[in-house]
This record gives sequence, structure tokens and C-alpha cells, in this order.
Amino acid sequence: MATTVIETTPPHLKPFVPSPVPATVQTYGSSIWGWITTTDHKKIGTLYLFTALFFFLIGGIEAEIIRAQLGGPNRHLVSAETYNQIFTMHGTTMIFLAIMPLSAAFFNFVIPLQIGARDVAFPRLNAFSYWIYLLGGLFISIPILFGHAPNAGWFGYAPLTTKAYSPGVNVDFWVVGLQILGISSLAAGFNFITTIINLRSPGMSLMRMPVFTWMAFIVQFMIVLAFPVITVALFFLLMDRFFGTQFYEVASGGDPLLWQHLFWIFGHPEVYILVLPAFGLVSEVVPTFSKKPLFGYPVMVYSGILIGFLGFGVWAHHMFAVGMGPIADSVFGVTTMLIAIPTGVKIFNWIGTIAQGQFKATSASLFAVGLVCLFTIGGISGVMHSSPPADLQQTDSYFIVAHFHYVLFGGSIMGIFAGIYFYFPKMFGRIMDEKLGKAHFWLTFVAMNLTFFPMHFSGMLGMPRRIYTYDAGQGWDAFNQTSTWGAYLLFVASLIFMYNFFKSLKSGRPAGPNPWGAGTLEWTIPSPPPPYNFAALPNVTSRYPLWEGKQADIDSARINQQGGKSAEELGIVLPYNTVKPALSALFLVLMFSGLIVGHWLIFAGAAAMVLALYAWLTSPLEPEHH
Amino acid sequence: MSTATVSHHYSSTGLDNRKIAIWAFIGSECMLFVSLISTYLIYKDRSVVGPYPHTPWTDPSTGHVYHAILNIPVTSASTFILLMSSLAMVLALSAVENKGKPQRNLGERILGNSKLWLFMTALLGLGFLGCQAYEFTSFVNEGLTIKTNLFGSTFFTLTGFHGAHVTAGVIWILSMLFIDIKRGLGPSDALNVDIMALYWHFVDVVWVAIFTLVYLIR
Amino acid sequence: MIGYNRLRRFAPLGVAAVLALALAACAQSYPNSTFTPHSDLGRSIDFLWNRLMFFGTIVFVLVEGALIYVVIRYRRKSEDVTPPQTHGNVVLEITWTLIPAAILAFIAVPTVRTIFETQAPAPANSLVINVYGHQWWWEFEYPEYKFTTANEIYIPKGRTVDLVLHSKDVIHSFWVPQLAGKRDAIPNHTNHIWFTPDSNMATTVWNGFCTEYCGDSHGEMHFRVITVTPEQFASWVTRQQAPGFFGPPATPPTAAIASAGAATPATTPAAGTKTDSAAAAAPPAAPVTPAYGPTASPALLASYVLPHSEVPEYAIPHTPLPAEIKFDDNLTGDPAAGEKLFVGAGTCNACHSVTGNPLAVGTIGPNLTHVGSRITIAGGMYLNDKTHLSRWIKNARIMKSGVLMPTLGKGQYDPQTKATMPAGLSDQQIADLVAYLQALK
Repeated sequence: MATTVIETTPPHLKPFVPSPVPATVQTYGSSIWGWITTTDHKKIGTLYLFTALFFFLIGGIEAEIIRAQLGGPNRHLVSAETYNQIFTMHGTTMIFLAIMPLSAAFFNFVIPLQIGARDVAFPRLNAFSYWIYLLGGLFISIPILFGHAPNAGWFGYAPLTTKAYSPGVNVDFWVVGLQILGISSLAAGFNFITTIINLRSPGMSLMRMPVFTWMAFIVQFMIVLAFPVITVALFFLLMDRFFGTQFYEVASGGDPLLWQHLFWIFGHPEVYILVLPAFGLVSEVVPTFSKKPLFGYPVMVYSGILIGFLGFGVWAHHMFAVGMGPIADSVFGVTTMLIAIPTGVKIFNWIGTIAQGQFKATSASLFAVGLVCLFTIGGISGVMHSSPPADLQQTDSYFIVAHFHYVLFGGSIMGIFAGIYFYFPKMFGRIMDEKLGKAHFWLTFVAMNLTFFPMHFSGMLGMPRRIYTYDAGQGWDAFNQTSTWGAYLLFVASLIFMYNFFKSLKSGRPAGPNPWGAGTLEWTIPSPPPPYNFAALPNVTSRYPLWEGKQADIDSARINQQGGKSAEELGIVLPYNTVKPALSALFLVLMFSGLIVGHWLIFAGAAAMVLALYAWLTSPLEPEHH
Repeated sequence: MSTATVSHHYSSTGLDNRKIAIWAFIGSECMLFVSLISTYLIYKDRSVVGPYPHTPWTDPSTGHVYHAILNIPVTSASTFILLMSSLAMVLALSAVENKGKPQRNLGERILGNSKLWLFMTALLGLGFLGCQAYEFTSFVNEGLTIKTNLFGSTFFTLTGFHGAHVTAGVIWILSMLFIDIKRGLGPSDALNVDIMALYWHFVDVVWVAIFTLVYLIR
Repeated sequence: MIGYNRLRRFAPLGVAAVLALALAACAQSYPNSTFTPHSDLGRSIDFLWNRLMFFGTIVFVLVEGALIYVVIRYRRKSEDVTPPQTHGNVVLEITWTLIPAAILAFIAVPTVRTIFETQAPAPANSLVINVYGHQWWWEFEYPEYKFTTANEIYIPKGRTVDLVLHSKDVIHSFWVPQLAGKRDAIPNHTNHIWFTPDSNMATTVWNGFCTEYCGDSHGEMHFRVITVTPEQFASWVTRQQAPGFFGPPATPPTAAIASAGAATPATTPAAGTKTDSAAAAAPPAAPVTPAYGPTASPALLASYVLPHSEVPEYAIPHTPLPAEIKFDDNLTGDPAAGEKLFVGAGTCNACHSVTGNPLAVGTIGPNLTHVGSRITIAGGMYLNDKTHLSRWIKNARIMKSGVLMPTLGKGQYDPQTKATMPAGLSDQQIADLVAYLQALK
């Protein structure tokens, strides 16, 4: 039971003293069944975090193999076939099994806390999303252990992915696996849209929401509008491969470009789905450690919305070499240039936030600044691709590989690490070791540049993408060697992080409600939060309740900071734990597996899933109460 | 549906969560059907072999003459049936919302009979599905399968997706009917019926688009 | 503050490291560089690139500079200071929205102009080459001159070449970085890319790559473009139009090519080292008379092909030989016997054609009419010499992943069917075939 000091002066306008810490750190409980049946967004967010970090490691190992193979000319560490599986799985794992779920970890954990809600709108659907992700991730990842991993690239262009040119099960696993994973994201999208629209605490208008929640909000709309398109693209491929339809069959008049258009109409919004959450995290971290509000909040929101819209209008910039014709090339070139504006404006606003502030370099803030620095480089190379004639040299070369690693690693991953250091105390009640965190940052920053900066050069010096080896004497050796060493260092950096993460879980310095002196609602409750989050739903009067709040905010904070009361004592009703979402997810995945295993399994899985869904839908979410 | 009673929880908009969720779902489904319809339109007139939707075709290798596959009169009838099912759904929702109000004459008793209108909605929906089944089997007999050509693949996939949505809707309506029979539906269930109705009307609107773009426009 | 003190200390180190890398890098040659255009299209692209680099560098310096400045200047020195709680500045925000927009206009206008210029139809008297992408080799057909070849094209300097791109299977992409941008070769589509190679450059070889992932051996789907004078081109064309013939003995290879050709699987020979490989290809003995077609005329024999000695080092593949394929390099092949095997036990004519041989009209694999004078074989993957060609014929499926060409050597393991060939060609038969193919100049 913690005693609290009642904060009357906003935390950041006083000398910074870490808030009082409780004697013991609450934990979530270790029963496995408890984790399988949980519907608590905080536990689900924790599950996403651990699972996603695991897949991040897998994707990282795949990257190390790629770099080891490419470290010198004409190497044969792995065969061409193996290499093709590795680079396919590296992209697929990092995008669908690492970055998106890492973002989901934050959506889950942070959004309800930031808007003053007890949980998401549909807690069981939330659990369902996680289990689909875990099972789908295993489904698509396990084949590599048997040498049957997907091997047609993460983008799977037809007709290479049709049965004629990929007769094995590799692409089957890819198509079915992605369909499964799409369901996870879609379900979560409906959940968070409803949550953010409908469960905001009294006084939390849309323009008072923290920017992370705003970015997440925009991302959910992009997900629910973009994922159906790849669902259709994959469905066509699935039908072609399993049931002999003609969608991508060249001999029947099928157009390979249909796949490309459908894929990239999804694929381009997807990359903004990957980076906007990181932007949101940075938008929380930078103001906190600058001790001043985010510079230009409305513009940050509007630019995010604009990116969401324009993101659906630029997709064919991935297709400048396919011969769409001068009009299409020009239109998409111009729209791509346009989208650079709202994206660039955010960079300036972050810099404007630090300006005139009192910037403190912590692990979290260093990673946030790292994103601003590295995403700028990725953004500049992105603008370079936006000119179609110039892109005819750049596309499908290592110049593109450099660009997207700067925006995805230098952008998404750096932002996610910032978020992990920032929210670790809130999630687990302990603070990660700062020394190790800074070592992690500096090694990552240096190694990241060592790995990916040379790729700008090897690309413009003629090195194509997706090649398992290259000849000597082409002028690429030094750059590749540097990249490989950088990648090895990145791996070491990741090990430092993993060590810090797990060590801090056990023995990190205990944190109170607000170790960083931040200003938003999630920092008004204990760390980790009690199951009900807020003892009393807060009344919100400003964007930074703890910094700029009025008396109502301060009163709410005072009530909510105190820990130690159970839900029953407070008269709060919590949802039941239930295994039905996990079971439904399992049967759904089994049903899809039937496409590869045998059609009987489709029916058996479907029947079981319908029963599980029926049981789910007809059972109450929580105990009756009025 | 969940047997939990009407939510008393605080909400920012005054709407129930499920109402917002169904609209988000419908928005997503729009993109799904837009992609399917766009593919159909892109591949229109690009099939290398017939049969074709609106024009006859002679197979050069067998000499067999295939007439235009689509049967506009029959499909117009099934479209009408589906539209009428939406009307029945409106009446069903109204009956549920107004359950308990006095019914003064036969007309009001008929209109207020939620079981009747739920049954009619499901029946008309099944009627539509029956027409689709008849249509598809006759196409297959006439030589158009999902594998035959681009038209077959796009047509059957598009209408198949739609039919699957109708089927899911019919199951949903029958479940609701079952609950109505078992314990009766009243104003407290209006939200659940409203959500179901929204879904059903959406499926109907999608069919109007498909019917226009696939059947009517050449 | 610990964080940025380290930054200050490391910054000079970082700059030094980058400079060192740059210096080391500049010392090398870059045979595939996109920075040195050699055609009109290349120059149009380069113009845009320079403009993009110009603005990109300015933005980079300004933005990163601002970031570094604020992080240092506004670092927290004391916990007692309250910074001004600025929420924004409308004027500033509008300014830094309009400036990028203006910069983009400077990029967009020349971009759109270049798009329309370069995608207009090719000039009327262009040299049309039909390019067919296959998994994993390139087929080239010259409709104006009515011949088909593979792996390499000769184009005349100063004349526009209009490459018409097709694919026979999956999507490929045609890229010669030093000459032009790339364009995809898509089945059911016809794409064009046209450019005019500069007249005033040396006759030389340019590397070409497939740049759209196309399956197992995408990384080994190379080709060569040889830019020659119009006279050399006309002469080369007469050679290509002639049916396959037995020419005089091959000129002895130079040391560079010999050392590359005699590479053992584990090593990559450095450019230009002389080895004492007496095993380097000894020229075959007496010329042989053709079994079909017109007797080769002296004019044809003297027609132009780029001498091996003029092939630059970067255009010579150094792909190491797989260790598992053993071949007796001391065997001498008989071209006449090879010609019989070509349409006989070797079954080569099932997939390959040799113009002038009515029995050899296969179209699945590359046209081999003049394969003897090509720089490379196997889709640009291996040097075209006895050592490589013999092993290619013996077990193409181990030499290159996933290829259609069967494993032909007796007792060889086929990695695709995962079976060992009980019957097949003996080493002597393969040597005969090699002699025949090498004679098809």
C-alpha cells in the first residue's frame, strides 16, 4: 500500500524528483491459464510485446544470415534457394510479426490509459486478435525449419507466386499465413476505432487526446481500409493456387499487374501503418523530456490525418518501372512528393518541441531523437525515389533497401525502442537500466548507419536487390563488407537490449506512477496499473492533465494515483476471463490450415470455430450489474 | 448475441460500442467489395475464351455455340426478392422496437409481429440464395465454371463473396428469430436487431451495385 | 550530461570514419555506376538526380543541423529551470510547410517534363531489339536483321536503340546501370525503353542485370551490352545472320581470362594475375569442315566480334565452379562428333537451335548459333570457356539453381529430382559437344 504525496504543482514545473515508489511492485500473476484466458488490455499488450520481441529476434537472425552471405563476393554460406527463403521471411517477419505487433503492444497497453478508459470496447475480440497473431505467426514461421519457408519475397509478385512457377508449399504457407494475420489486424482495427471514438473519459475531446492515440486512431482507419484489399489479392492467389481460377494466369489473359496494384494499394498505407505509431510514441517522449508541450499539436494531428488520406493515393510509386504510361507516372510522382510535406512537417515540430526546452538525454529520449535524425535521411531518399525517371535507376536496387531501412529501422524501430524505455515502468512497475539503455542506443545508432548508409552507394553503383550473391570487381565489395559488420554490431546491440529488458523485469528500480514527470493520463495511475486502470474515470480539461490541468484534473489524479484497492472494493465490474477467444482463434487457424493439410480440416475447423464463436457470442462479457 | 442487457456504461458519443463497430466493419467491407468489383471491371472483355456475359461465343475447337450467359430477367427477379427482404427487415426492426405497444387492429398486429417479419426476411434471403444457386448451376451446366476464363473467375468470386455474406446474414436472422421464439425480443434488444439490419441493408446495397455493374451495364 | 558528451567525443571519430570509407571507396572503379551516364536517357536521369541530391543535401544539412543544435543548446543543465511552455508558432509552421512545397515544385516540373520526353515513342529509325526475359537468361531478337541471340547484345553507338521488353514466364527487369534506367519485362505486356548510346566513347562492354525478383537464380540472370561503332555493328550483324559454322581455331585466351577460367571453386582469382596454368585451354588442332550449310567465307570469318582481350575485367564472371562436379579437363573434343551428339544422344536440339541445322530448332533454351563467340554462358553466370561449358553441360542443375536444363552427365546427381542419373553423357561426349559449341563462332 503506497502513501502518496499530493501533487499540486504540475510535476514538470518543479525540480524533478522521481515520484514516490511503492515498497513492492505489483505483477500480473504468473498462471499460464490466466494469460491464456485474459481479456485485460494490459496483459494482452504485454503478450504482444513479448511475442513481437521474439519475432524481432528471429527476423534479426534472418538479417544476420543475409549479411553474412553478402559480406563478400561469390560467397556460398547458403544456397540460392535458402537465401531466397531467408530474405522473404526477413521481410515478412519484420513487417507482420515484429513491427506491427510491437505497435499493437502499445495500442493495447497505452490507448485505454491515455483516454481514461477501463479497457477497450471489445475485450474478448482483443484477446482473439492476439491469439490469431500468435498462431498465424507460428504458422508462417515454422516452415523455415523444414526448408519450406515462403520464398517469393514478402511482396509475392505474380506470376512467380502462381502454382506454375512456385509449385511447392512455400507460397501456400505465405498466402494462407498472411490471410490469417490480416484477420488479427482487422479485428483490432474495429476494436480500437470503437474504443477511441466511444470510450474517452469525460472532457477528453478528440483534440485533447494525446498524439500517440491520434496516430493510432489514424492507423486503425488505414488498417480497416487497406487490409481488405490485400485480403482480396491473396484470395485471388489462393483460388488460383488451390482451385484453378485464372486471376493471375497469363495464358488466360490474366494481368500480373493486377496483383501489383492490389498489393500496393494495401502496401503503401501499410508502411504508414508501420511508422505512424512510432511517430506517436516520439510525440509523447520528446515533450516529456523537454519539459514542454508538443510544438504545434493541431498540425501534428492534421498532418497525420493527411498522411492517412494521401497514403492511399501514392501506391503506384512502387511501380514506376512497370510501364504504366506517362500520365500515371506523373500523377503518382506528384502525389508522392506531396505526401512528403505533412511527413516533413512533423520532423520540424519535434525539433520545435526541443527548442527552448530543457532536454534531458535518457534512453527513451535518445531513441526519439534518433528517429528524428534517421527518419529524415530516409525521408530525403524517399523524395529522391518520387521522381519516376530518377527512380528508374533507383528502384529495385540497394538504394531502395537503404531508404526503407532508414524509415523502418531508423523510424519505426527507433520510435518503438523509445516507447519501450518510456513505457516499461508503466507496464512492469520498474525502470530499465539507463546505462545499458544508453549503450544500446549509441551502439544501435552507429551500427544502424554502418549497416544501411553504404547501401545508398552500392545501390547507385548498380547493385540490384534480392540477389543471393554478387561477383567480385563490381565495385560493391567494400560497401557490403561495411554493412555486414554493421549488422553484426546491431545484433550485439540487440543482445544488450534483451539483457537489460529481462534483467530490469526482475530487478529494475521500482517506479511510481510518474517516473518521468510526464503530463498525460496514463501517468496518473500506479505502475503497473490496477486491473481497472482508473479508480474513478478522470475529468479531463486539457491536453496535458498533469501539466496544464485544472482542479478537476488534479482531483482525479489524486484519486487515481493511490493503489491498493481491489475492483470489488471500488464497485468496479471487470470482464470475465475466458478461453473462448483463444479457442476460436485456434479453430480458425486450423480451418485455414486445412487448405494445405487436407480439405477435411477446413470443415472440421470451421465447425469447431462456429461452435466456439457461438459460445462466445452467447456468453456475457462481464457479471450482470446495473 | 450476447445476453447482456443494454449497456449502461459511459460512452463519449452516447452510441453503443457495437453500433460504432458495425459501421467500421461496413466501411471495411466496402473496400473489400470495391476491390472485387474493380477486378471484375478491369477484366471485363479480357477473357481469352468464352462463354461471355452478354455476347454469344463459338468455341473454335468444338464448334459449340454458347449464348450470352447472364439471364437478366431471372436475376432481376432475385434482385427484387432481396430488396423486399430489406423491407421485411425494416418491419422486423420496427416490430421489435415497438413491442409492447397496444396493437389495435389486424393491420397493426401483422406489422407488429417481429417473428413474422424476421421469418420473412430470412425466407426472402433464402429465396435470393436459391435463385443464385439455380443461376450458378445453370451456368456450370452451360459451360461456365470458376476456372473457365477471367469472366468465370471474377464473376463467381464476386457473387460468391456476396452470397457468403447473405448466407451469414440469413444465419444471423434465423438465430435472432430463434431467440424471439424462445424468449421474445423487445425494445431492449432493438440495438442488436438494428445492427443486424444495418448489415443486411449493406449486403443489399452491395447487390444493387453488383447487379448494375455486372448484369445491366454491358 | 552523459549522452551528448559522448556525442561530442565521438563526432570527430565518426567524421573521420566516414571520410576514410569515402577515400577507400573512391580508390576503386565502379563499373556499374549510375553516376556516369553514357546515353541521352542516362543524362536526363542524371540531371534529375543531381537536382534531387542538391536539394536533398540542403535539407539534410539544415534539418540535421537544427536537430543537433537544439539537442545541445537546450540540454537540461538544472532541474530547477522551467522552460517556456510554447504551444506552437503559426508563422513558423506555415513557413516550414511552404518552403518544402516550393522545393518540391522545383523537382516536380522537370520530372514531369522528363517523363513525357522519355516515354514518347522511340524515334522512327531506332534499332529495335525484342528482349525476352526467361528464367534465368535473356533472349534477344533483332527483327530488322532477322536473327536471335542470347546473353549479350551489340548496339551501335550514336543510334537510338529501342528495347521492346517481353517476358516468357515471370516478371523480369532489364537494367544496364551505366547506360539507362530499368524497365520491367512483364508477361502479357510489352514495354519499351529507348536510349542513344554516346558516339564518343570507347567500344566496350556494359554489365546488365535482371532487377525484378524472378525466382531461384534471379541473382545470376545477367547479360552484357557491347557498344560498338556502326561499322563494327554492321559487321557483327553479318556474322549473326550467318548459319552456325565451324570457324578456325579459337585465338589463345589471354592470361586474365585464363586465370579466371581456371579458378578453383574455393578461390576467387584477383584480376590480371598470371597463373602458370599450362592447363589453360590449348587451341584445338586442325580446322574441320562444316557438315551442313554454306562453307564459311573468309569475310564471315573476319566479321567483327569483340576480341576477348578487350573484354574488361568487370564483365568477366568469376562465379566459382561447384566442387562436386568433376570433369577431366585433359580430354580433347571432336567438333564433328559433337555436332552429331547435339542432335543425337545429347538431345540438345530439344531446347536449343543452331541456325542452318534443320534438326536443331528448339526454342526453349538460348539460341546457340554463335555461342562460341559470346563472353559468357548460363545467363551471364559463367565465363564461356571449356572448363565452364563442360561442367555446365555435365550438370547444369548444380551449376545454377532451378534451371530447366537437365542434368546430362552420367552418374551425376540431379538436385531437382533428387536422383542420380543412371545413364547420361560421358566426359568424352561432353568434351565433343564443347568443342562443337566453341567452334560455333
